[in-house]
This record gives sequence, C-alpha cells and structure tokens, in this order.
Amino acid sequence: MVVALPYDPPSMAPPLQIRNFSIIAHIDHGKSTLADRLLQATNAVSAREAREQHLDSMDIERERGITIKASAVTVLHHHQPGQTTDELESDFEPPAPEQRSGDAAMRGPASLRAPVAASLPLYMLNFIDTPGHVDFNYEVSRALKACEGAILVVDATQGVQAQTVVNAYLAINENLTIIPVINKIDLPSARSEEVAMEIEQVLGIDAADCLYVSAKTGRGIPELLAAVCEKFPPPRPPLVRQTRALIFDAQYDDYRGVIVYVRVFDGSLSVGDKIRMMGTGRTFNITDIIKYTPKPTRVESGTIGPGETASIVAAIRSLKDVRVGDTVTLDPDPATEPLPGYQPPRQMVFCDFYPATTAEQKGNDFEQLRDSVEKLSLNDSSFTFQPVHSDALGFGFRCGFLGLLHMDIIQERLEREGGVEIVQTAPTVSYEVQIRGDKPPAPKDTTGAGRSVEVVRIENGNAVLEVHNPADLPHPGSILEIREPICRVDIMLPKDKIGDIMKLCLDRRATYKSQTFVSDARDLVSFEIPLAEIIYDFYDKLKGITSGYGTMDYEVIGYRPDNLVKMDILINGDPVEALSIIVHRDKAEHRGRALLRRLREQIPRHQFEIPLQAALGAKVIARETIKAFRKDVTAKCYGGDVSRKRKLLEKQKEGKKRMKSVGSVNIPQEAFMAVLDQGE
Amino acid sequence: MLRQRPAASARAIFLALDRARAAARSLYVHVPFCFHKCHYCDFYSIVDRQDRQEPFVARLLRELAAIAPWAGALDTVFVGGGTPSLLRVDLWQRLLTGLHERFRFGPVAEFTVECNPETVTPELMGVLAAGGVNRVSIGAQSFEARHLRTLERRHDPASVARAVALARGAGITRQSVDLIFGIPGQTVGEWEADLGAALALGTNHLSCYDLTYEPATALTARRDRGEVTPADEDVEIEMFAVTLGATRAAGLARYEVSNYARPGDECRHNLAYWRQEQWLAAGPSASGHLAGHRWKNTPRLDDYLSIDDGGFAPIADHEPPEPVRAIRERIMTGLRLTEGLDARATLASVRAECGHTRAAALASRAEWHRASGHLIEDAGRWVLTESGFLLADGIASDLMGAVD
Ligand SMILES: Nc1nc2c(ncn2[C@@H]2O[C@H](COP(=O)(O)OP(=O)(O)OP(=O)(O)O)[C@@H](O)[C@H]2O)c(=O)[nH]1
Ligand code: SF4
Ligand SMILES: [Mg+2]
Repeated sequence: MVVALPYDPPSMAPPLQIRNFSIIAHIDHGKSTLADRLLQATNAVSAREAREQHLDSMDIERERGITIKASAVTVLHHHQPGQTTDELESDFEPPAPEQRSGDAAMRGPASLRAPVAASLPLYMLNFIDTPGHVDFNYEVSRALKACEGAILVVDATQGVQAQTVVNAYLAINENLTIIPVINKIDLPSARSEEVAMEIEQVLGIDAADCLYVSAKTGRGIPELLAAVCEKFPPPRPPLVRQTRALIFDAQYDDYRGVIVYVRVFDGSLSVGDKIRMMGTGRTFNITDIIKYTPKPTRVESGTIGPGETASIVAAIRSLKDVRVGDTVTLDPDPATEPLPGYQPPRQMVFCDFYPATTAEQKGNDFEQLRDSVEKLSLNDSSFTFQPVHSDALGFGFRCGFLGLLHMDIIQERLEREGGVEIVQTAPTVSYEVQIRGDKPPAPKDTTGAGRSVEVVRIENGNAVLEVHNPADLPHPGSILEIREPICRVDIMLPKDKIGDIMKLCLDRRATYKSQTFVSDARDLVSFEIPLAEIIYDFYDKLKGITSGYGTMDYEVIGYRPDNLVKMDILINGDPVEALSIIVHRDKAEHRGRALLRRLREQIPRHQFEIPLQAALGAKVIARETIKAFRKDVTAKCYGGDVSRKRKLLEKQKEGKKRMKSVGSVNIPQEAFMAVLDQGE
Repeated sequence: MLRQRPAASARAIFLALDRARAAARSLYVHVPFCFHKCHYCDFYSIVDRQDRQEPFVARLLRELAAIAPWAGALDTVFVGGGTPSLLRVDLWQRLLTGLHERFRFGPVAEFTVECNPETVTPELMGVLAAGGVNRVSIGAQSFEARHLRTLERRHDPASVARAVALARGAGITRQSVDLIFGIPGQTVGEWEADLGAALALGTNHLSCYDLTYEPATALTARRDRGEVTPADEDVEIEMFAVTLGATRAAGLARYEVSNYARPGDECRHNLAYWRQEQWLAAGPSASGHLAGHRWKNTPRLDDYLSIDDGGFAPIADHEPPEPVRAIRERIMTGLRLTEGLDARATLASVRAECGHTRAAALASRAEWHRASGHLIEDAGRWVLTESGFLLADGIASDLMGAVD
C-alpha cells in the first residue's frame, strides 16, 4: 500500500542534506541487523513494527536468515554536525521479536521515540542493505554505483573474511568513502581491537577510523549515524542539464508491473514524464514515484532531484524491458551520454530442471514447470533458461545461475511457489569450444529443442562456441580446443591449515598465486582454480579442513584451454546424456570409476543385469555391473494379507515414481547427482 | 484406507450390505493360541497363560451367529491360527456344533483345520472328523532338529508322520504338510532331504515356503543383529527348482507360488482368496472380503473378548469397495496362480474403469514381461513362467502400477 510521505524532500532542500550509502560485509556479519537499528534510531520503524532483519522481506530470506536481494530505503534524520556523541544516549534494549502488545512496545527507550529538536539540520539518508553471499555479489556492485559511501561491517569475533575484502575493494574501486564498523561487540568473544588491526593490515584503512557497535543492543548506533552525516560526502553536483538517472535495480510486482530503482545524478524525474531508457531506446510514462521508508510511500510532490534515490512505476510489463545499469533520461530532452553502467551478471553454473513425474504425466508437468520458470524469471532476471530435451528425462529447462546457492534457491522457489517437483541434473560450468571453420555445428537432434550452443565469436576464421551442456559438445573431430572458466580464489584461513588447503587446491588443478599476512593467526592465500573444480564440494571441504574458520571468495577471471574431454556414461548400453561430464583427461578414469561406483549404489537392482560404462568416445575407461535380482517374491499370501501386501507393492511402485526410466532401467533422482562425486 | 478406532465394529459394514447378494461361500476362523511364539511368525497368536480358551470360544460363537446371515451354503471353512489344535477337545466340540447350528454346508464343503504335529491326538482327530473336518494342514516346517531350533519350533520331527497317520486313521482324507526352506545354514541337500521326507508321507498337498523375514519378528531382529545369516539368493533359487522337480516326480503339481497338490486336491479355501471370491471371517485379526469391502478384526484378544457389538467384533481396518483397487488385487493374487490371470477380462475391466490409455499401458507392460521371458499368454490368460514366479512381486507391482 502506498501512503503519502509526510514531507516533501525537494522543496525542503536546503537545508536538506542527502547521504547515499550501502551497508556491505561478509555473510552474517550483521548488515541486516544493523539496518534494523538504523531504521529504529531514525524512527522510521517504531518499536511496535520492528522485527528482526526488517529488510529481508522474502520468505526464503527470512527462513534462511540471509539477504538475497539488496533493499534500498530512505529515512530522515536530524543531526547537528560537531555535536559530541556523549550527549546522545547510546544503549537500548531492542524489543524482543515476539513482543507484540502495543503497550509494552511503546515503552521503547526515550532516545528513540522523542524526535530530536526539529530545528537541527535534516538529513535524508538513502541506504541499501546488501547480500553478503558471494553468489549475489553483483547486487553489491550495483548498489555501490548509486552511493557515495559504504559502511563496511566486520564481525568482532570473526574478523576480516573473504567477502569483507572483496566487498571493500568493490567500494574502494568505486571511490566511495568507507566507514569501517566493528559489529557484535556485545559478544564475550569479541576481539574488537585485533579486528581493527586486521582491517588496517588487509585493507589499508586506518584502525583509528573504526567505529565499535552492537547491532544487537544498539550500542554505538548514534555515533555511527553522526559519522554517516559527517563523513560521507553529499552527492556530486549535476554535470549536465539533462536528466540522467541510473537504474540500479528492478523488481517485479504483481500489481504494478516492474518497479525500477533509480539514482538521479543529473536533472530530475517527475510523475507524468515520458522517460527513455538510453540503452534500449524504449520509452515509458512515469505513473508513480515511490520511496521505501521502509513502507512503500508515494513521493507527494511527484518529483525527485539530483542525488536522490527512489523507485519509479511506469507501466512496464516485463523485467526484460528493463536493463539494470541502463540510464533513464527524458524523452523530449534526452542526454547525449549515458552514465557508466554495469556488466550484466554472468551465469556461471548450469543445470537442467525436469519435472519429476512418471512418463505418462510428463506433458502436463512440463507445462506447469514452464509457467513457474517464466513467472520466477519476472522476479529474478539473473537466472537464464531455455527448453531442453533429453532422451532420458524428457522435456525440461537448462538454467544458468550465478552460483550454487543461487541454483539452490531457484530450485526451492520453483518447487515452493510453482508447486512442481523437480529432478535436477548435476551443475556444470560453461565452456568455450573452438572448432574448425566458422560455421556452427548442425544441431544433433531434430527436435531442435533449445540446444545451448551459441557462436560467441570467430577467431582466425574459427568459431568459438559457448557450451554449457556436455551433451552439446560438437563432434570431437571438429574441436580445436576446449577452454574452461578459471577463477581467482581468495581464501582466508588459519595459518596452521595452509598446508592442507594447499593440497586440496593442488588436487583441484590450482595454480598458487600469493599469500598475504592478515594477522598473527590468519593469512589470505590466492589461487587460480578452474571453476569446475570448485562449484560443488570445494567450499564444504574448505570448511571441513579449517573447522569452519576458512572463508573464500571467487571471481571468474577468464577462460583457459586445457586437456578436457567429454566422458559419457552408458547404462545398459545406452548413453545417458544427463550424466555426461567434461573432465580433465588425467582425471577421467578416476572420476569415471567413482561415478560408476556411485551409480551402482544408487540404481536399484532390476530383473536383468545392468552394465554401467564410462567412455571417452568409443573407448570404455571404466565399468561396473549391477547384478540382476532373480528372486522377488513373497512366499506367503494368505487371505488377510491381501490389503497389507497390496499396500507394500504399491509403495514399491510409488518409490519408482520419483525415478526416471532410461530404456527399461529406473534411475533414482540422486543418481543424476552422482556426477558430482570427485572421487576423493 | 480408513483407520478406525478399535471400538468401531464390523456391524456397520454388515448392516449396509445386501444379504442376498453378499452370500459368502467361505469362512475363516482364527484361533489365536500357541504354545510359544515361533521366531519367524508374524501371525497374531499369543501364549495364553490366563486360560481364556473358554471365553474365547463363547465369544467366537456369538460372532459366528452375528455374521452367519451373510453366508450362503459354505464351500470351504478354514480354521487357522495360532494353533487351533491347541484348543481343548471339549471346546472343539462346542465350536463344531455351533458352526453346524449356524451355517449351512454345501455339497463340496472343504473343512480344514491347521494342526501343530505335537498336538494331534486320536481323540482330537476323532472329534474333528465327526464335526465334518475333512482336511488338516500340518505345520512340519522341517525334519531337521537343527533347523527347527533356528525357527524356534519345538516339536519332534517324528511327530509329523504320527500326526498324518492319526488324521488318516480318523478318516480325515486330505492332509497337507507345511515346509519352510531357505533357513539360515540350510544346504540344498538338506532341503531335498526334507522334501523327500514330506513326500514320503504320501499326502496329497504340500506347501513349501521360502523363509520370509517379516518385520517385527524375533528372527528378523536376530538377522539384523547379525546372529543369523539369510540364505544366499542363488541357493534359494536352486531350492525352488529342486522343489518343483521333486513334487512333480511325486505327482504333485504347483498351483501357486508356494503350493503343490495332486490335481483336484488344491486347497479350495486358499483358491477362494487368490481368485478374489468372498469370505467371512471370525476371530481376532481375521480379515474378511465381502461385496468389495475388506476389513480386519482387531488383533487384540482383550479387545475381541471385551467389545461385543451385537456379536460383531471390533475392527482395526476397513477398506470400502473400490473397483480399481479390486482390479489391482486381482492382478496381484492372480499372477501367483499357475492358472494365471484372465488377460481379456482384466483389460476389459481396466478399460471400463480407467480408460483406454491405462489399458494400453497395462497391455504394454505385460508384453514387456512376456518379451523378457517371465510371462506367457496362454489361452487368453497371463501366466508367469518359472523364472517369472521368482519375480512375481516385482511383476505384479509393475502391472498394478499401470492401473491407477
Ligand atoms: N550478538 C550479536 N549478534 C548479532 C549482532 N548483529 C547481528 N547479529 C546476529 O548475527 C546474525 C547475522 O545477522 P544478519 O543481520 O542477518 O547478517 P547479514 O550480514 O545481513 O547476513 P547476510 O545478509 O546473509 O549476508 C543474526 O543471527 C543476528 O542476530 C550483534 O551486534 N551482536
Ligand atoms: S508359527 Fe504357528 S505355532 Fe508358531 S507362533 Fe506362529 S501361529 Fe503359533
Ligand atoms: Mg542480511
């Protein structure tokens, strides 16, 4: 619901001062909780409305306790520059989340309820709570483009972690002013000063600049608000007369269509304006301008000016019509140069989704899956999908994700919001394949159902294909080389575990790059590792080896050729495409054997013997056999048994429903994940 | 399935039925007492230390009176257990008299009582024969003391021959012997010896059960603790083959997965089950099948004795009629018989109940099993082959799965 904003920002300026900033940190260091305290301390959220991680509004965010989407909010705050913070009351007890009764809730701390004297200068704070998980890093990059400052939150017990470093550098590269904040100082295990030293050591930020807060108790929040007003610079003055606003996010809303989050840099935007997207050239009419306070609140004046962030509603039907990073200008008087934008996020991990149903119901369930995939893509434009057909699994979608957590979340949302059960194939990365000649290979099957092969460029007369499904590799004879994505992986870890981690990485075809001193106990070690080697269990292994203390971040830095081959898996003589993988030649036999062992455990015995083979081209490099069972009969079936026995047999059959049949072999869903077994 | 509170009684089911149409021609009576509990057994039976035989028979007669109006002239009666032969002779007399007072018997009536070989006495056999019993089923299980111990059966192997002779002497012309194979530690040779000993008794019926590890039995617990090692699958398969050969040589033909008979001496009562005919049931844990209803009496003797709804027993389970379920049950039990399943009739009923697609799916599954050599189509019937019989559960489950 949209309610009127009780103030009218542009008309109040000056003395209205604007501050745009993001809250960034490693996962779980307390960004969202800190945002809660800022909302409360500025009276944007009353104690009665308060709940934990207020800005994490999606169900899945609240359940998993993580932020997935960045959220931008606007609050007002009175502040007298130079006022010493001792005059501010700084400790309060936050309301218990289950405390619902209005009475009790109104007994909030005096310093929060009483509006500070209205005569003090007024600041409009636009801030963005960002996700910490590496998969959603692009959300952070986008948010930072709309800001002049960043609050860098570091957990006082955990210290600087991999994403702390990555996110801090993102902010530094954007020339943002950083306020380092050491959070969770209420915890007995907090080592605040040491952590301040780590920040200085790793990031070159003066330890003396650190603020110490507890987002839980509220300690240090007033000082933080003061620093936000005083240290973060105001928005830069307009550079051109024409309007330019950067789209830093977009979200789909069932009622209003696409809501576009913009940061105005030059000129202004008003309700009724005909706007033009500079990249796509499309035009729309603004019907509404909204700020989140954090309630969606209509801007009464209908206008926003330089330095402001807000979201605009303009009858835009699909997220496909909007490109995040594009510049909005006015159609009648357009700007000539767009603002610097972003790289669109790149999908790094791919897998297939198929409806998990028996052959007979396949048609219906595919339609249902298609509907849910399309609907979800309205909400999340960062996953890609295209229809695929597999002999074994029927019709489904090949989807691309930013990372494994992203994949997991999409699958869960499809199952939950779309009500479809999904069989998921093992995730793979995308490969670049250089082939002889500049013609794309002829599609292998005639159904033509969305093959995921695309010519990305021509190099010296040879086409380079992007392949993200091993089944789509062209004939080996035509392949010149296969290149795989390589990541720079930064691992923050206890010093005594470096040897073990070194071994893990080298097993995964890593190249060691550098080692940086963080503190007496920890180091930051960098490697270059093929993405394919880390997408599945690498992180778990790292956590295991370091007893949970190691953290990592990765970024794809390019593609490199290697001795890569496609390994096919044959079940009962039939190649099962969904089980094909691209592996390093030297590891093929090892992986093949591990995979077949897993399949042998997971595929139930049938009434006939099932040979399993792993093959490179025509050459079989590993084999296993699932013995036939020859006896499957209950000796006794007396009268009273009929119901019981019928139920038993029906249960057997139910179990098979979750299986996919290849030829006459039933393969349980888990078997399709067997590919992930690294054979270690 | 409707899971009822034990207090719900069979009365509601019966009263809703049309008596004329529901005329059942088979009756099962369950006697729940045993000497002690055998280690492989999951039948409902108790070792009765309070002597509840008398109240049990009184209660049973009330139940028989209550259900009798739904019976036609009986073709078959089967008294099973438990160990029915453990019932005191005077109580047997009362039970038999009561049965004849309440039920009419048809001209071909088969009347079977299960007996433990140790409990067979001339006196008991005389009373049974006089009461119309013309068939006994004797639980021999094995003639090897060692294997009987594994099963925790405590009878002297020699008692089996004695029991058969006593039954014959009393004029009970049909006898069956139950054997178990695939006992932990049993060799194929030992099984052949057991079979030979049983066949030497010259009975006209033999049941040979491959030992089954039923959940919640002492034997299964011992297996799970690693105290006994189940027979190897290959050994069991050989034992099946040996059984088939030896029985055939003795003039007994297999007519069900585990049952062999001289032609004409098949157990008609069991055939009624497998052919999905109707039957009445009395006694704790007994299950009946009438006009498409399936229900099961409470298994607890205490409840059975204390809850009496106009003679009707409290029930544990009830499944109301459902034509598609009935088709699946017919497939399941029909395939266990060497006479097989009427393919045309089955396909026709599937087409009528579930449509053409389902019927076609069923036909194609049957065809698949035919091509695999596990099933043949003979005179319009699906009949399992010898290797198919070994896979009867999987094949049944597959064909049943095509029907829903
Ligand atoms: N004791 C204590 N716990 C805190 C404090 N701040 C946050 N937490 C707890 O730390 C956990 C993570 O907090 P979040 O605010 O969800 O962290 P986040 O950085 O937003 O996490 P992501 O969005 O998933 O990256 C929660 O259980 C919080 O209750 C603090 O100052 N003291
Ligand atoms: S096998 Fe027979 S005698 Fe043994 S406990 Fe079971 S019912 Fe009683
Ligand atoms: Mg968060």
